[in-house]
Amino acid sequence: MKAILFDSSLCNGCYGCQMACKDEHCGNSWLPIAAEEPLTGQFWCRVDQETRGKTPEVKVQYTPVLCAHCDNAPCIEAGEEGAVYRREDGLVIIDPEKSKGQRQIVDSCPAHVIYWNDELEIPQKCTGCAHLLDDGWEVPRCVDVCATGALTYVDEEDIPEDAEPMPVLADNHPHVYYWHIPRRWVYGVLVDRVINEVIIGATVRLEDAEGNQVAVLTTDDFGEFRFKELASAPHTVRASVEGYEDVVLEADTTDEDVVLGDIFLKALA
Amino acid sequence: MKTSDKTVYKNMSLCSFGNGANLTAVDSMDGRVVRMRPVHFDEHYTKEDLNYWTIEARGHTFEPGMKTLNSPFTFIYKTRTYSPNRIPFPLKRVDWDPKGERHPENRGKSKFERISWDEATDIIASEIVRIDETYGRNSIFCQGDGHGETGSIHGPHGTMANLLDMTGGLTMQARQPDSWEGWYWGAKHAWGNEPLGQNTHQHNLFKDISENSDAVLFWGCDPETTPWGWSGQQASRLCFWFSEIGVKQIHIAPDVNYANAVHSDMWIPILPNTDAAMQLAIAYVWMTEGTYDKDYVATHTDGFDWFEYYVLGNEDGIPKTPEWAEEKCHVPAYRIKALARYWAKHNVSIGHCNGGSYIRSCYSHEPARLEVYLLAMQAVGKPGRNQVKFIEWALIGMDSFNPLPPGHFLPEVRACYHGSVLGELPASFIPKTLVPQCITVGEGEKVEWYGHTTSRHHRTDQFKKFQFPQEGDHGIRMIWSDSPCWSTCWNGGNKFQDALTHPNLEFFLVEHPWMENDTLFADMILPISTTLELDDFGVDTYSGQFNSIIWERHACDRQHESLSDYEAVLEVAKKLEKYGGIYEDCASHLSGDMTVEEWQEVGYQGSGLPEEEQDLELIKEQGYQMLPTREGWDTEPAGMIEFYEDPENNPMETPTGKIEFYSTGLANFFPDDPERQPVAKWIEESETHHERLSCERAKEYPFLLVSNHPRWRIHANFDDCPWTREIETCKVIGKDGYAYEPVWINPVDAERLGIVDGDIVEVFNERGTVLGGAYITERIIPGAVLQDHGAETDPIVPGVGGIDRGGANNLIAPSATSSKNAAGEVTGGFLVGVKKCDIDALMERYPEAFQAEHYTVETGTNVYDYLQED
Repeated sequence: MKAILFDSSLCNGCYGCQMACKDEHCGNSWLPIAAEEPLTGQFWCRVDQETRGKTPEVKVQYTPVLCAHCDNAPCIEAGEEGAVYRREDGLVIIDPEKSKGQRQIVDSCPAHVIYWNDELEIPQKCTGCAHLLDDGWEVPRCVDVCATGALTYVDEEDIPEDAEPMPVLADNHPHVYYWHIPRRWVYGVLVDRVINEVIIGATVRLEDAEGNQVAVLTTDDFGEFRFKELASAPHTVRASVEGYEDVVLEADTTDEDVVLGDIFLKALA
Repeated sequence: MKTSDKTVYKNMSLCSFGNGANLTAVDSMDGRVVRMRPVHFDEHYTKEDLNYWTIEARGHTFEPGMKTLNSPFTFIYKTRTYSPNRIPFPLKRVDWDPKGERHPENRGKSKFERISWDEATDIIASEIVRIDETYGRNSIFCQGDGHGETGSIHGPHGTMANLLDMTGGLTMQARQPDSWEGWYWGAKHAWGNEPLGQNTHQHNLFKDISENSDAVLFWGCDPETTPWGWSGQQASRLCFWFSEIGVKQIHIAPDVNYANAVHSDMWIPILPNTDAAMQLAIAYVWMTEGTYDKDYVATHTDGFDWFEYYVLGNEDGIPKTPEWAEEKCHVPAYRIKALARYWAKHNVSIGHCNGGSYIRSCYSHEPARLEVYLLAMQAVGKPGRNQVKFIEWALIGMDSFNPLPPGHFLPEVRACYHGSVLGELPASFIPKTLVPQCITVGEGEKVEWYGHTTSRHHRTDQFKKFQFPQEGDHGIRMIWSDSPCWSTCWNGGNKFQDALTHPNLEFFLVEHPWMENDTLFADMILPISTTLELDDFGVDTYSGQFNSIIWERHACDRQHESLSDYEAVLEVAKKLEKYGGIYEDCASHLSGDMTVEEWQEVGYQGSGLPEEEQDLELIKEQGYQMLPTREGWDTEPAGMIEFYEDPENNPMETPTGKIEFYSTGLANFFPDDPERQPVAKWIEESETHHERLSCERAKEYPFLLVSNHPRWRIHANFDDCPWTREIETCKVIGKDGYAYEPVWINPVDAERLGIVDGDIVEVFNERGTVLGGAYITERIIPGAVLQDHGAETDPIVPGVGGIDRGGANNLIAPSATSSKNAAGEVTGGFLVGVKKCDIDALMERYPEAFQAEHYTVETGTNVYDYLQED
């Protein structure tokens, strides 16, 4: 079956996928595959955004969240009288007629990508643009409009090994995969504020809670160090620079990325 | 299943002037648009047909791609066509009576009533004739220059000016370089680069950077936002490419803009409009450490000693040290030094894409000139060391302005274009930045300024003095606008709103598709069709991929009673013909007695496409025609390399032919201007502006406002789009259920102000107050707040000292121009206060302003709230 591969390293957060999905489905009826989506409020392809870090090291992580047409689809189980079915190509479709009144289908999805249409009294979600594929399209709208190549439509066997299934649906064999989403990071700058100089070429070590060295870096031309791809766990940053007191700073990345910012070293007396 | 029954092709550019990008496929069914999508070139073309280009560097390959790279605005455009805020039929303000009382004081307050096209055009024609006979033609002022849709035959901007021009004249609004003021008013005096002031020698610069640069400084610009309405998303792909090949991306700005948020390797936060201080400190480091290119400075530049004398403190006793700069710009001295030293050791280019407080605040000519100085001190033009733009590739038809592989020729729409051409001005004109002053100028008084002010004029044009009104004229009595967003996009909109109620102004006529912004203040409104309803002719020349020519067809039926701008002007012309004399056959002259299809053919034949490549049947059938890349593009000299290698034979367009640290033109014509001296300097404050944190005003207004080109609009366009409005950075829903324009506040400032996420806040100064929704974020530094420009005006109290619910912060921007002798706009980096808004108190005090019954969070304001009930 085909899968959607999201390469985070190529996503610019334009929301084009979210908006094109609405262009396809709001105000357009594709019965019997999908009834019209309401003008606003439903997100068959939803872009989540999270601001990471603090001044002066801030990133925004964008992640598309959409129906993964799971192999083990709880919505199919939840639907009564065949209201949710799987097509031969694997796409999971909510029948707009049979599903009328079946609100439990909305609640069945761990990823919360099924929405209730108050007016029509039906659950609705991404159809994988089945109507377009049936009409000869090779990819769904969200993939077609992606200018940067962050979203691609690939055979499942071609999913890169280091891509991960959409985490919230990991147990359901989803057909949406995330790739290159940065793990936690720690940022800082070594500075001598007395002479107003950054410290270039200093060795900075990162240790885990047990005191094991996780990574070691040298500060760059801007006195900066960036530890990347870290576990969500407590860490300690250590730097020994000749002529200065040692730096020992907690950098707990359990819940968030850590910006130590400008670290003012104390000269030894 | 049938998913469409018709596909047409359009150029969905929003640059307003008949070009731009991108080619788009529009599917419709049963007369309604169902979807808008990228065009895949391989449906009709092979890579060989396109002379497909690639850039190879550092073991990687950049490809232009085989589908158009539309911005998301393309995919939501039908919501603009079907917007509930479309003006359904011609409207007349209820208490504006052309035969009796006109009540100018009620503009923006009183409501509108439906009239017929016949009645409307009768009134317009008779008003033109009456005003001409009473005051003279120069009393009719045309605003016809964008922002808005792009079209050619239907000339969305300035068609009326052509009608008036051919029948006796007009006063024209001169659109100044509103997104890059500093380059125009400053950089040109340092390095020429006519006519824009930005580097106009951009050939092959992305190739050059890919091969030779270590870093690109993104100085106060956002390649993920500003290019969207002009060039699509190639700029984004180039940023990803730089990451792929290890070109360091350093962002210098007060905010984590949308490119910084995903592309940057490093962010240097800086207070708005204080870049000049950091630039001077960088020069100081290079001078004192001897790390600039002395040979280049000796052979390629003029007047360096003047600059050195100032920087080292010999002139005013203040060396421009990093410590000195830190106080002004809040970039720590150690970071300034580190940047200066990194830059001196590496190949560094600077990237721009317009906008922001770096280049359109007070004295914007200073950071622009200082950037040229810094580039010159590091041998600009040397491989890897240039200035490059991420937007407007091939602007104003300049082939050399395209830093990506160009097409084998640059197609144009000129042959069928009915709009006004930027820079072509009648004798009587008004810089767009001075419109309020010119509307209200008293009999016997005059407004004066220097230069024609449009981006097509040469540097020396800035030394010519002009005035309004011309001798013997009688000021503005009628305004005819097809670009009704002055209030929300230019400098000091509240003053403009006040000016519109001036008793001298007898008739304010607006053509527009939507009920928004200046339209609210009109006496009469003509309903205009959107591009999806029209047959037209277009070219896609800014995409950074391949040029194309587009045979545009309408995708849906006309909405309501709308006509195109061209058709509306023709209807007026037909009525004018009845007056005979100078009006004889004016409609015929304007239309050439040709159908739109005949104009399309003229457009195609006159596009510049070599005759042997013209195939009318093919383009009619196919809807578009792609053009191949120019042969030998990759061997063309990159950027300013020719000046670098041989400045004597490839001089810059300055009086000395060199890069001038001491602008000899300014020294000759404005020797005593303290705000724009011959050498660029740090200007703290002056008679024109008091917009620094050090100023007395800052006690009451202690924040500097960042007002970028909007992420979810093109200037004032798109504020009615339901699919952007539900994005968290687009609108903040207040407790009163109104969708407010976000105001970014750093958590440190928010806590001090007692403001929490989602609060309704006031952003204010003595010029007025705009409301917004608090968006507490690390994406803005303490001491600055950010609110995008261009939100739709929704006045609670219009005019100076007024209150705007929409958050159109240009309303409270300074009216004064860049500096005394530079007529640019100041629309960012100015002082404001911020406080929590008591919305209940406002509702109690101004109940009539809160009675919009048709307003919805989804689409915003609604035309029916401005109509008189029967």
